[in-house]
Amino acid sequence: MFSLYKKEVQSYFLSPFAYVVSALFLLVFSLSFIDGISKMDSSVLKFSFSNIFYNSFFYFIFLIPLLTMRSFAEERKSHTETLWLSAPITIPQVVFAKFLAIATVFLLMMALSLFFPLVAWLHGSVIVSNLICGYLGFFLWSLFCIAIGMLMSAFTDSPILAAVFGEAAMILVVFLDRFTQTDLIQSMPRVAKVFEWFSTQVRFGQFSQGLFSLADLVFFVSLTLVVLIWTIIVIEKRRWSRG
Amino acid sequence: MVEIKNLTKFYGNNPAVQDLSFTVGDHEVLGFLGPNGAGKSTTMNMITGCLPSTSGTVLVDGYDIAKDPMEVKRRIGYLPELPPVYTDMRVRDYLMFAAGLKKVPRNERNKQVETAMERLRITDMQRRLIGNLSKGYRQRVGFAQALLGKPKFLILDEPTVGLDPTQVLEVRKLIQELAKDHTIIFSTHILSEVTAVCERVVIISKGRIRAEDTIANLEKNAGGDLKLRLKVEGEITKVTAIINSVEGVSEIEEVEFESAGVNTFTAVVASDAVRKPLMAALIAGDCMVLEVTSVRPSLEEVFVKLTAPTREDALEELGKELDAQRAAEETKAEKPEAAESEADGKEEDA
Repeated sequence: MFSLYKKEVQSYFLSPFAYVVSALFLLVFSLSFIDGISKMDSSVLKFSFSNIFYNSFFYFIFLIPLLTMRSFAEERKSHTETLWLSAPITIPQVVFAKFLAIATVFLLMMALSLFFPLVAWLHGSVIVSNLICGYLGFFLWSLFCIAIGMLMSAFTDSPILAAVFGEAAMILVVFLDRFTQTDLIQSMPRVAKVFEWFSTQVRFGQFSQGLFSLADLVFFVSLTLVVLIWTIIVIEKRRWSRG
Repeated sequence: MVEIKNLTKFYGNNPAVQDLSFTVGDHEVLGFLGPNGAGKSTTMNMITGCLPSTSGTVLVDGYDIAKDPMEVKRRIGYLPELPPVYTDMRVRDYLMFAAGLKKVPRNERNKQVETAMERLRITDMQRRLIGNLSKGYRQRVGFAQALLGKPKFLILDEPTVGLDPTQVLEVRKLIQELAKDHTIIFSTHILSEVTAVCERVVIISKGRIRAEDTIANLEKNAGGDLKLRLKVEGEITKVTAIINSVEGVSEIEEVEFESAGVNTFTAVVASDAVRKPLMAALIAGDCMVLEVTSVRPSLEEVFVKLTAPTREDALEELGKELDAQRAAEETKAEKPEAAESEADGKEEDA
């Protein structure tokens, strides 16, 4: 399993892929940062990074499908999946190895963005609790998105389609919150409660405010696991019907 | 030992492989022969555990692929039809990765990769990106991958497809070499390959086994007629008459023109013993015999005979055709009425 993990991480850095996506990520981050600085009220003495995460939520979700689109679609397209299907390794191991690899790449990207808080900290002061929880929340939330992206990649053999499906799924996840706020849903309190429970943005918002709750942590981790298990099932199912 | 029992695979309602049973003993090279689309790849995918079977079992050294896939996969090296290589990796890195995937102990990986590369003669290519290699080299990299982890069984799906003639010979030699300490099942639709490498063949067509025997037996039992090819100088009518007059000659199948006054006659004979009286008759008739060869049914003919549609297939086809015809007639019968009623409707509207 470790070999597969290592190979996956390497493959991101052997091609220009990881660098281009990281650059795009940093571009989005820096633009949000500039935006945050320029809008800063002179009465506020400390800079909070949570807003950057919270406001640029929409930009970030477009990056994750780019990372995940190739994971299974590409293997299927180039017939390389027979390699791990015929090797002494189980499908859950393959899925987790790939998931961990993408999470690692994403973590490295996030580590690069630490440059901004560092600069802000050198020239002013930063609300540390917001920063740590913001990063943590963002990471947890992106793990969930990575799992979704992988699931979409498992459905098709075209990486481009996988990316499009991934974007669509992510937009749905984000818009779930807005949908919950509509009068229609709010008029049915029980339904609204279920929807609210599933809305990731609210939970993410709490993280970015510097609030860490175990319930939110469990929420993100369990949702990620559910999607990963779903991915395993999809791949198993495909193995049965493949030609 | 690999035991395959009643292996069946359906894709939807279409049977790809039906009721396949055969065994492969240790240190045996089995040729898996069949025309394109006969179900060779499907069977191989099932043996290696890439594809689950609809019913039936595959036992490798007593382990069932459905119950102990890990134990089975540890014992098998698989080269699929399309080599499963990552085009963005270097040859050596790829093989090291494959060795890791096959759970080769860390301290042995280097050595095993070196040996595999030497065997396939790709050591010079180890720093190259697989994406930049030609089809033949990619095939070899895929082959090298199958050797990693010292598997007892090698499953090779058309290992020589896309290789140039020298490479084909090299791969055949390699298979013969590997046969010393591996059990090999390899599929092909090239007959000369089978005769060159295998002791035993399984011939399948349309998902069913048509024959399972040694090559010698297959040729012997093919039941084809024994033929003599005679290159004779002399007038055609005269020679034909002489040949036909000899007892034991059932017919002259073919007469080919060679050069002025020289023709090659292919005669179907009862046995080799007919040769003597035939020669005597021809010499007595003052015809010069330039060449005599006996023609046995080749493996090619055996193959064509075995993979040709059987009576049942033909009947099934016929049944389908009739059904289709009937259906077409029925729709035809219905249609005119529909057309008429439509026309009526239009008139009324007008």
